[in-house]
Amino acid sequence: MTFDYETEEQNSRRKIAEAADAKTLEAVRVEYLGRKGMLAAMYANLATLSKEQKPKEGQRINKFRGVVTQLIEEKKKTITAKARQDSQKQLDVTIPGVARLVGHAHVLTQTIDEICSIFEQMGFAVQEGPEIETEFNNFTALNIPEDHPSRDGFDTFYLKKPDPTDKKVNLLLRSQTSPVQIRIMKEHKPPLAFVVPGKVYRPDAVDASHSFMFHQIEGLLVDKDVKFSDLKGLLTVFLKRLFGREIKMRFRPHFFPFTEPSAEVDISCYICGGKGCSVCGRKGWLEIMGCGMVHPQVFKAVGYPKGKYTGLAFGLGVERIAMLKHGIHDIRLFFENDNRFLEQF
Amino acid sequence: MKISLNWLKDYVTPGISVEKLAHRLTMAGLEVEKISSVGDDTIFELEITPNRPDCLNMLGMARETAAILKKPRRIPKVKKRVWPKQKCAIVIDDKKACSRYIGTLIEGVSIKSSDEKIIKHLMTLGQRPVNNVVDITNFCLMETGQPLHAFDYDKLAGGKIIVRRARKGEKIVTIDDVERELDPSILVIADEKRAVAIAGVMGGKATEVTGATKNILLESAYFDPVLIRRASRKVGLSSDSSYRFERGVDYRTVEGGAARAVDLILESAGGKITKRADVIVARKKSARTRITISKDTINARIGASLTSVQYKDILKRLDFNVTGSKTGAFTIVPPSFREDIKAAEDIVEEVARIVGYDNLPLSFPLIKASTIPPDPTRLARRKMRELFLAQGFDEVITYTMINRKGLEMSNQGDLQGVEIFNPLTQDQEIMRPSMLPSLLSVVLSNANRGQKNIRFFETGKIYTAKGETDTLGVIMTGLREDDWRCVKKEDADYYDLKGAFEQAFDSLGIEKKRIRVQSQQEEFLADGQSSAVFVDGKKVGVIGKVGEDVLDKWDIKQKNVLFAEIDMEGAYKQKKPVVRYKPVSEFPAISRDISLAVQANITAHDIEEAIRKTVEGEKQVVLTDLRFIEKYEGDQIAKDQRGLIFSLTYQSCQSRTLRDEEVTEAHEKVCDVLVRDLGVIRR
Repeated sequence: MTFDYETEEQNSRRKIAEAADAKTLEAVRVEYLGRKGMLAAMYANLATLSKEQKPKEGQRINKFRGVVTQLIEEKKKTITAKARQDSQKQLDVTIPGVARLVGHAHVLTQTIDEICSIFEQMGFAVQEGPEIETEFNNFTALNIPEDHPSRDGFDTFYLKKPDPTDKKVNLLLRSQTSPVQIRIMKEHKPPLAFVVPGKVYRPDAVDASHSFMFHQIEGLLVDKDVKFSDLKGLLTVFLKRLFGREIKMRFRPHFFPFTEPSAEVDISCYICGGKGCSVCGRKGWLEIMGCGMVHPQVFKAVGYPKGKYTGLAFGLGVERIAMLKHGIHDIRLFFENDNRFLEQF
Repeated sequence: MKISLNWLKDYVTPGISVEKLAHRLTMAGLEVEKISSVGDDTIFELEITPNRPDCLNMLGMARETAAILKKPRRIPKVKKRVWPKQKCAIVIDDKKACSRYIGTLIEGVSIKSSDEKIIKHLMTLGQRPVNNVVDITNFCLMETGQPLHAFDYDKLAGGKIIVRRARKGEKIVTIDDVERELDPSILVIADEKRAVAIAGVMGGKATEVTGATKNILLESAYFDPVLIRRASRKVGLSSDSSYRFERGVDYRTVEGGAARAVDLILESAGGKITKRADVIVARKKSARTRITISKDTINARIGASLTSVQYKDILKRLDFNVTGSKTGAFTIVPPSFREDIKAAEDIVEEVARIVGYDNLPLSFPLIKASTIPPDPTRLARRKMRELFLAQGFDEVITYTMINRKGLEMSNQGDLQGVEIFNPLTQDQEIMRPSMLPSLLSVVLSNANRGQKNIRFFETGKIYTAKGETDTLGVIMTGLREDDWRCVKKEDADYYDLKGAFEQAFDSLGIEKKRIRVQSQQEEFLADGQSSAVFVDGKKVGVIGKVGEDVLDKWDIKQKNVLFAEIDMEGAYKQKKPVVRYKPVSEFPAISRDISLAVQANITAHDIEEAIRKTVEGEKQVVLTDLRFIEKYEGDQIAKDQRGLIFSLTYQSCQSRTLRDEEVTEAHEKVCDVLVRDLGVIRR
């Protein structure tokens, strides 16, 4: 018995192509590859052939089996894929996932953390102190004279009641974070390197750029041989880390009672790059922080021996930095705590 | 302060562009904040720091400009005069307030308009020219920094000047036509009858120089800076004079300024000096400051390497007297107008700013390791913040100063807070003794803007007579969770907030058994939904639902507002114990549920305690988990009872698998105890 392999192969191709679902395809498979299928019959027939015919016929059957097997496999994949696609149970994967929402740290906290961590990486410790202070720590020890205007009720909030432990001591809300310098220096000997973040208070009428409560970060480095050039170096590293390596900076002489020499640090305006715009008041520079070498009177006030130590100190306003960095135009936004403001950071 | 560049050029020629000059002044500590032009002139608006009153005049600015640019100065010459022997009648009543007063009487002046040049200079700076005498006093103030005032001598009752404190209720009409009431804290210049000027602030209308004036008395004096500042604030009047007196006028210019004005008045208005008096109450600081410092010290402080000659040159250009550089140490005597120069550091700054900070080198400090530990409250606060952020709470920062009304609206009227002596507004009356008013105001403002689902916390302080306490405040209202799969949207309730705390305490390493929460009614919390939190038996805070009456008073429309306040120090200052590992059992555990009908007076805590105690007495089993499963109230149970289900997980005390009957025995015992001791019914 002989087979017309060409015709059979063509038939099988057609049947496989026509099979529209898995069930029909399975029937086709059984017809050809099943135990009683066409190929089984072909192999059975092979045994009856002569020695000369066997190899040639065998090759032809094998080829036929290969073609059918492959076609069925391919068709099976197509049918499965189509069936998956047609399925009505497909998830709409574009619907948002469900998660426990993570909250947002306040932008001022984030700013404080960023600044403190730059200094921590340089070896500074972060310290804190009370908001209710004595006149000595907030003024006298910082070389601010008795009759200085900043001691007036126009510039500092005073408490109604004196210190309960010493009725002669007037208490106030610290107008700067500097009194913490005094507290720490009184307790510890140099070398000292620390930064102090915290709230400060001044009786300013509230507007877009003034608040009676705001935040400062103060820094102090005291050792035996701290120089003005160290101050420049330290703050250059800090400001480049905070605002980017491309910023330009300048140190401008200024006055603070507790430092001498004193300086203010400006950075090139991040909006106009120094050309002058409305943000920098056409100056091209933004005032960013105050600094200086610790005044000997301050060391005297904390009881350090005369001439033994030198130090550098610096301070900055957290709100100002955050406003510049994030383009916030009104200081009141920080304390309004509108959900839609908080969640932007 | 504003200066005119054309005026400055009368004394020094900068020889560089306007922008460069502004930059050089700024970088020497005289910040030019604004540059503008008026006609052919340029105006610099300068920010002069309070230590530099000597720069609040043209000659001072000329000195600085000349020193910075290394240019010569042209200082106006004052004529040497022989003063008449006859004295003006000047009485200084308050000797502390006025240490020097020079009065010069010029008779027979002709009042007319000023010279072109003076008018132009004054007008550039926005001053209205009045007449030659008044203009000259203003001109000399700007030139020398010495405030001057000319009185119409014939209008001074008794021809006399008395420097005294104002009387209570005394009034004066100042030259700006405003009647001002005075008091004894204010220093005045008076004649025999009345006050004729508020000393150092503004002259009086009655004695001002007018077109009809024939004879003038020129005042040049030194008034106490603090007294002038307070008077100026009190009468709400700041003038060019008061601004300078407040900051400190050079004691020597009292004479020099007067002499310059006399020259100009005689030149412009004619007349003759007939009387003069120079009353010196106290010679101020006759012994001048002497500072010794070496070139090497200066170089070491700024990290530079300049020569003695360079330093000496800089200081001399600033009118400092410098001697003895050969031995390496200078002896420096600062000029009288530089009262800010007191010590070696001040000399360091002077040379540094003239060299320019930007021209000085830069170095990197060696920061030594310190043994000062980081602030423990800060660490606790950071940790707590992270835990609440992780649970979906947003952080807020609110004003710590509040209105007492806010406390009353929160049923916390009994709390004291810390009173502020000088608040600007009522909203700053006190430092808050509780976080509730601050957080309710945040809920209100958000709700008014349509923000209804709120989960906020603040790690801030509260203030009492005992001091300030680090506190965590949490407020929560609106839907429990934003899960679109839940069709039924429910408001967050007490257990949501309590759960957040349990989770946070757990992460902080405070074990469950150290924490106790029990009912305790607070005025500001809703009836029956108010609890106190204890750690190791010490009360650390409250958790509860805000009372409806409080919400009504705040006009907050939401009904379910949950609030918690926890003392951070009390709760978290404790050290986290080092955890010792307990081996995990390889043998299976067996869980059994227990469903109970419980009377109102028995708490879940009572039941848990009883279960724990009972199992502890067992020899074969231990309780590895005790879980609360469900609470039921409704038709299926008696009205005064509620259904509670707990799941108990048992394990063998030994290393083996528990037998079922062992568990059953223990579990039945637990049930019996609960029924017997707590009167519960098994369901």
